[in-house]
Amino acid sequence: MKRLLSLMRGLATGVVLALCTVLFVDIPDAQAEYGDVVINNYSDAAGMRPAVFPHWFHRMRFRCKVCHADLGFKMKAGGNEINMVKIIDGQFCGACHNGDIAWSVENCNLCHSGKPGTQTQVHESTIHKLAQPAGTPKK
Amino acid sequence: MTMISRMAFLVLALAAVPAAAEQSGKDVYGKVCATCHASGLAGAPRYGNAGDWAPRVAGGVARLYQSALNGTPKGMPAKGGNLALSDAEAKGAVDFMLAAVKDAARPAAAQAEPKKAEARKDEARKADTAKDEPKAAPVPAAVATTSAATTEVAAAAPADVNSFNRLLKPVSKRNLPPPEDGIHDPSSDGTHALQPPLTAFGPLPKSNAGNRINWVEALNQKKLNPRYDRLDPKAEPVVMDLNIVREVKGSMPDVVYPHKQHTEWLDCSNCHPAIFIPQKGANSISMAAILMGEKCGVCHGKVAFPVSECRNCHSKKKELAVRPAAAEPAK
Repeated sequence: MKRLLSLMRGLATGVVLALCTVLFVDIPDAQAEYGDVVINNYSDAAGMRPAVFPHWFHRMRFRCKVCHADLGFKMKAGGNEINMVKIIDGQFCGACHNGDIAWSVENCNLCHSGKPGTQTQVHESTIHKLAQPAGTPKK
Repeated sequence: MTMISRMAFLVLALAAVPAAAEQSGKDVYGKVCATCHASGLAGAPRYGNAGDWAPRVAGGVARLYQSALNGTPKGMPAKGGNLALSDAEAKGAVDFMLAAVKDAARPAAAQAEPKKAEARKDEARKADTAKDEPKAAPVPAAVATTSAATTEVAAAAPADVNSFNRLLKPVSKRNLPPPEDGIHDPSSDGTHALQPPLTAFGPLPKSNAGNRINWVEALNQKKLNPRYDRLDPKAEPVVMDLNIVREVKGSMPDVVYPHKQHTEWLDCSNCHPAIFIPQKGANSISMAAILMGEKCGVCHGKVAFPVSECRNCHSKKKELAVRPAAAEPAK
C-alpha cells in the first residue's frame, strides 16, 4: 500500500513537473520587433544570455550600407561567427561599440539580453514564420 | 428649505464619497477589474489562474503596480479605466488578485518546485522594496505616455477580435517594449535599459507591416537621416535613379524595381553580383525563392517591408488587363 502511494506521488510530481515545463519553460509566442536578430552561436554554451540585435534601432542611425558593405556583415543571422575577441579587436560590432561611436563592450547585458535558449533567428522573418507557424508548440 | 437641504445633502454626499471610497481590493476587483480579469478578456491574466500570472509576477510586484496605475500597451487601461480609484485602491486590487494566484499556485507549482517559487517571490519583493524601483520606473512611464492613445483604442474595441487569424497581429501586440516582447529576458537589467520602440517611432510615417514604419518615406520626408558613413556624418549616399521593370506571369501587375530607394540605403556591392547578376534577363526570381529568403527575400521579409505588401513591388498594371475596361465606356 505504501509503495503504491509513493508510486502515485512520484507520478503526480512527474505530471506536475511536465506541466511546469510546458507552462513556464516553453516561451509563449514572442512579439518582438520585426527584424530583431537573436544571435546564439556560442552564448548558451558559454553561460551568457543570447545577444539580441535591434535592427530598427540601428537603421534609424546608420544606413544598411555602413554595416553590410563597409563592415562586412553578411545578411544572414548567425552567419558572421562573431565572438567577443573579434569585437574587442574592432571588427563587426566593435567597429562602433568601442566607446567612441557607441558604448563599449563592458555593457554586456545590453546586447546579451535574450531569453536563454532562444535560437538564432531573424525575429518575425518570413522564413521563421514558415518554419515555425504562430501557435504551434516550439521544439 | 427643501432645496437647501437637498443641496446640503448633495454636498455631504460628494464630500463623503472620497472619504468612504477607501474600498478594499476585493471590492475594487469586483466592480472594476473583474470585467476583464474574470474571463481573460483581451488577453488579461485571469483571476486565480497561476499560469496567466506567473510570467507577470516574475517581473516584480512594482511593475504590476505600475501596470495597474498607468495601464499597459497590451490593452490594460490605467486603473482599469476607472480613474476615480485612488492609487492605494488600485494597488489593493493588484494585491487581491496576486493573493489568489499565490494560493492557487501552491498546490500546482510550488509543490514540485517550492524553492523556485520562493526565490521568484523573494526577487519580486526585492524589486519592490529596494533598487529596482527607479530602474523599472522609466520603462512603464515612457510606455504610458507614448502608447496612451493605443491603449485607449485597444481597450475600447475588443483587441483580440481578429485573433482567430493567427497571422494577424492585434494592435495590443505590436511594437512591445523589450521586457514584454518575448525574446528579451525580463530578469536582465540590460533589458530594462533598452529603448522601447514606440518612444522612437513617434514622428515617423506609418505602414501596415513590419515595424509599422514606412522607412523609405521616413527618409523622403527627412524625418530620419541615418549616417551613410560610420564616421563621417556628412557623407551623402550615391543614389542611382533607374527603374527596372520585370514582367510577371499571370494577372499580377508587373514588378517595378526602383534603384533609387535601394541606393539611398544600400551600396551596389550589397546586391551585385552575389545576389543579383547585373545583367538583363540573367536573374530568375520567383516568389518561392523570395519566401525562402533568397533574392529580394534576403532583406524583404527580414528587415525591409515583408512580402505581404504585394503592391509595393507589383505596382505596374498590365496593358492587357486595362484594355477591355477602357474600351467599354467608348461604346
